[in-house]
Amino acid sequence: MKGNLKDFSGTQILNLVSLAKRTGTLDVRRNGTQASLSFQDGKLIYAAMDDDDGSLASVLARDGRITREQASVLAKRARKIGDKQLGLLLIQKGYLTRADIIRSIKKHSAAIVKQFASWQEGAFAFDPGRLPGDDRITVPLDLENIIIEIARVQKRDEQLEEEIPSLDVSLRFVDRPTVKLQDLKLSRDEWRVMKYIKPENTIRMIANRLNMSDRQIRRVVGSLREAGLIELVRVRPRERLTPEQRKEKRAIVHRLIDRIQGIGVAE
Amino acid sequence: MQTKTVKVVVTGPFNAGKTEFVRAISEITPVLTERGISSEAERIKETTTVAMDFGRITVDDDLVLYLFGTPGQRRFDFMWEILAEGMLGFIVLVDSARPETFREALSILETFRAYAPTPYVVAANKQDLSDAWELDDLRIALRLDPDIKMLPCVAHDRESVKNVLLELLYSILEEIDLEEQSQ
Ligand SMILES: Nc1nc2c(ncn2[C@@H]2O[C@H](COP(=O)(O)OP(=O)(O)O)[C@@H](O)[C@H]2O)c(=O)[nH]1
Ligand SMILES: [Mg+2]
Repeated sequence: MKGNLKDFSGTQILNLVSLAKRTGTLDVRRNGTQASLSFQDGKLIYAAMDDDDGSLASVLARDGRITREQASVLAKRARKIGDKQLGLLLIQKGYLTRADIIRSIKKHSAAIVKQFASWQEGAFAFDPGRLPGDDRITVPLDLENIIIEIARVQKRDEQLEEEIPSLDVSLRFVDRPTVKLQDLKLSRDEWRVMKYIKPENTIRMIANRLNMSDRQIRRVVGSLREAGLIELVRVRPRERLTPEQRKEKRAIVHRLIDRIQGIGVAE
Repeated sequence: MQTKTVKVVVTGPFNAGKTEFVRAISEITPVLTERGISSEAERIKETTTVAMDFGRITVDDDLVLYLFGTPGQRRFDFMWEILAEGMLGFIVLVDSARPETFREALSILETFRAYAPTPYVVAANKQDLSDAWELDDLRIALRLDPDIKMLPCVAHDRESVKNVLLELLYSILEEIDLEEQSQ
């Protein structure tokens, strides 16, 4: 199974692998980023993307359970004894529980699979039978719920594109918000966007300023709007008149002035 | 030759006097669609304009000016946008005696200004009422730029309505001049 995500979406692939209970590894490459997802009987058991290689040390560091420095020490250790041994060691020494490790790995796998599902393009190839090395810790993760969640996010993004078709509009705060600002739990991104809301800033300008992608800014604007805090304001560029059009407009306005001055006088 | 039509939009908060304003200068009685109002806050008047006030001033066979009053309730925003398209300019009416509506007036003004960057004037309506705010105070309350015209108005007095409309037209001429100079 080979192809490009342009023709066959990530969600479709995940669905297929999950439903057909396939075993093997899916490799995907997009602009220098490489992802590998390994499946056993249709369940995701291992996920890696570039530096987040799925090794125990990197997974624990990413989850904030250990520092980056600790991770590099542990990674060195793992090269000798393997992730499984390392995990046992950490549990025996009482640093972490088995449940901690499983939770971190599941979190890591889910994050990577979601990231993969957001890719619009990238060459993929499924290699049946190939699985991660024996020394790696694999944790089976049911894909169903994740696929549903991914689909929900994608549907929302599509809706947002319909609701906010153009980013060349500006935003304003509604006059009488039905919610109190202090009752809302705003994300960091939402606060950042709020700072730039004024008539002269279009959504695109705000996105550029904050280095956000179109999709990211749409999500933020969408949720602020849903919360009843802001509304969209369309800005039309000022029309540039040609000299002839200006002359015509001036003549029209003069005629209107004459007419209105005459109201109640000549009648 | 086809008759050319141009339009001016008359906007402002609920009860500011838009219907009265359009009626005072129009050749035809504004077409009103009155409907009962549900919310408590809006019971100030028995009915409100749900569709729009629509007035006409014929110059001659070739030229007609339409006046459109906006429905004063924000839930009809989408209609405003359609109204704003291609307008020569707009007039924001403020009820000078009801400071509790000034904020709304300002926000309506800003909304329209964003729809289309045309010239506009602000009319301080109901200046005949004893508790009407003075123009200078209103200007501060509405945070109006000094270069925006603020005119006294009594909507049932045709001369006063004429003056507001004429001042808007003068502003449009000034804008054409400015554009010419900037080229
Ligand atoms: N005293 C006074 N009353 C006015 C004036 N303009 C409008 N009104 C009254 O204010 C009320 C609301 O006016 P209307 O035109 O219906 O407001 P709209 O909601 O903006 O269309 C009506 O009772 C009008 O007669 C004015 O200049 N002076
Ligand atoms: Mg009305």
